[in-house]
Amino acid sequence: MLDLLPHLVNGLVLGLLFALIALGFMLIVGLMEQINLAHGSLFALGAYMGLQFIGPNPPLPADLTTYWLQLPLGWRYALALVIAPCLVGVVGIAVEVCMRRTYGKDPLYGLLLTFGAAMVIEEGIRLIWGTRDYVLEVPRAVSGAFFFQDLIWSTYRFYAAGTAAAVIGLVWLMIEKTSYGAIIKAGAHDSEMVRALGINLSRLRLSVFVFGTILAAFAGIILAPIWGIRPHMGVDAVVPAFLVIVLGGVGSFWGAVAASILVGLAIGLSAAYASEWSLLSMYLLLVAVVTFRARGLFGKKSVLEA
Amino acid sequence: MTAASSTSPDAARLVTPTMLVLWLALATVPLWIAQAGLYPYLGVEILIWSIYALAFNLVLGTAGLPSFGHGAYFGVGAYAFGLCQFNLSPNLWVSLAAATIAALVAGILVALFISHRRGIYYAFMTIAFAQIFWTIAIKAYDLTGGEDGLLRIERPPADFGIISFDLRGNVALFYFVLAVFVLAVVGLWRLVHSPYGRVLAAIRQSEMRASHLGYPVWLYKASVFAISAALCGLAGALFAMAQHSAFPDVMNLTQSGYVVMMVLVGGGLVNFWGPVIGVAVFLLTRDVIGAFTNSWMLWFGLLFVLVVLFRPEGIAGLVKSSFERHSLRGQGLSALRLIFRSG
Repeated sequence: MLDLLPHLVNGLVLGLLFALIALGFMLIVGLMEQINLAHGSLFALGAYMGLQFIGPNPPLPADLTTYWLQLPLGWRYALALVIAPCLVGVVGIAVEVCMRRTYGKDPLYGLLLTFGAAMVIEEGIRLIWGTRDYVLEVPRAVSGAFFFQDLIWSTYRFYAAGTAAAVIGLVWLMIEKTSYGAIIKAGAHDSEMVRALGINLSRLRLSVFVFGTILAAFAGIILAPIWGIRPHMGVDAVVPAFLVIVLGGVGSFWGAVAASILVGLAIGLSAAYASEWSLLSMYLLLVAVVTFRARGLFGKKSVLEA
Repeated sequence: MTAASSTSPDAARLVTPTMLVLWLALATVPLWIAQAGLYPYLGVEILIWSIYALAFNLVLGTAGLPSFGHGAYFGVGAYAFGLCQFNLSPNLWVSLAAATIAALVAGILVALFISHRRGIYYAFMTIAFAQIFWTIAIKAYDLTGGEDGLLRIERPPADFGIISFDLRGNVALFYFVLAVFVLAVVGLWRLVHSPYGRVLAAIRQSEMRASHLGYPVWLYKASVFAISAALCGLAGALFAMAQHSAFPDVMNLTQSGYVVMMVLVGGGLVNFWGPVIGVAVFLLTRDVIGAFTNSWMLWFGLLFVLVVLFRPEGIAGLVKSSFERHSLRGQGLSALRLIFRSG
């Protein structure tokens, strides 16, 4: 039993990371009933932006650059975690403005539009940064490894999982416990009534989309040291994100989080027995669940299944 | 298929004037393609992808089912062709049949799991199965050759008993693929305009209405998926011949996404020929813009975004609406339609 412990812990960590990746996707699906396939590319863009800020050539004015480079790595990393997602948020604004034309139509159009946007962003990344792999430098405090029970554990994975748990908690508090969250949920539930109450619905949708984008970019920076930075990382992120939303059920916050943990554990445990095939386990899990439950684990009725 | 095309006399025909014109035009392609600065192989590729896109559009355009993992069946066909050639029989007909049957079996298997699902759940189930097939293609090294795929697949001669054609040259292969394309077009045209096709169109409009009218909706959804998968497998087999190999790339999600893009850009949702137009535009853009810049996908992505935003009915829809706007016949038709609708 003991030899399964590292696989269980790895699975749990992976599950939390999947939940972090899926968080922005989930908000946009749950609150706007739109599938944002550009999520993965925005995730990748976040990682590249973070890289640019932490690396030797930050996109800043010359005099600011010298000051910026004198900052210790920890500060640069912490600031990049805030600045880079906000810059990616600007790209999110552009995507949402394009997406407005598809609201009220078949959800297929929103999905296709964001697929096109994903292609454009990914090609843009290849154009700017090339196709090579990059490694994101992280502060000493969260890198390295430690010993526990005669096993080596990577510090960074635990830091990343902890951050994921904290962000998930904060987002949940924001949706459930603030009046802003109440308005967003009401907008998803009955947009006409929300508009009748004098709330600017298009600004509301824009802010939800940008918030989802920022979360995607943030997840990109957190995941970058684990997965490495390359143009294809967007596709590697959007597929699990989409998967956990479908597995958890559209419109269910904790359903998606539970699905992430399940997927993480499935991958972690199958890695113990057949590491080559461990990625298959998440698709088999999805097929097994959705074959018997039409709306995933905890899904609600949604226009996305029409 | 829109109401206009199914009420036109062409709907009842086996071969329509448009088909004849298109086939004749395609048959001349090897004569001038080299002079146009392109190469004969491009013609082969366009025809193969056209068969694939037409087969895919049976699911997306005719039945309105969001499948995003059709590359899997294309790939299954390609691998089955290669494996049959290596292990069973080098005969062309046997290998093509094996590819079609393998893809049909894969399609039936998947259809049984997904046909009771709708919308996003349906869409993602198709993606999940595509990923399963793709993972098998990459990891089952002994069977599929892993990331490299199956190499050195031959192009066996097309043997008709009394006469046999050598398909090793690209021009010969082009005419062989064109023959398959002709058969596929006739078959699909009949299928789409048959009572079966009408039920599919009804399912596309409203699954609930179709099921309340007493149609076994899931059976229709499952069968159309299987037919489409089988034809995609046949296209995959031709692709394996054309490429002399079968490799996992054609099965990945991006490639499956490309076929969706081709169908939509061409206008597959409103027109039977949309997929063919889309394939031609996609592959020509790849080769023409690709000659100037490595980032041609950027430009095609932008074109795709513009199409979705402003012309969701695609190029075929654009041509059709401008035709109706500018021709007297079109105006007469729309006037008639107005009268009948209001009366």
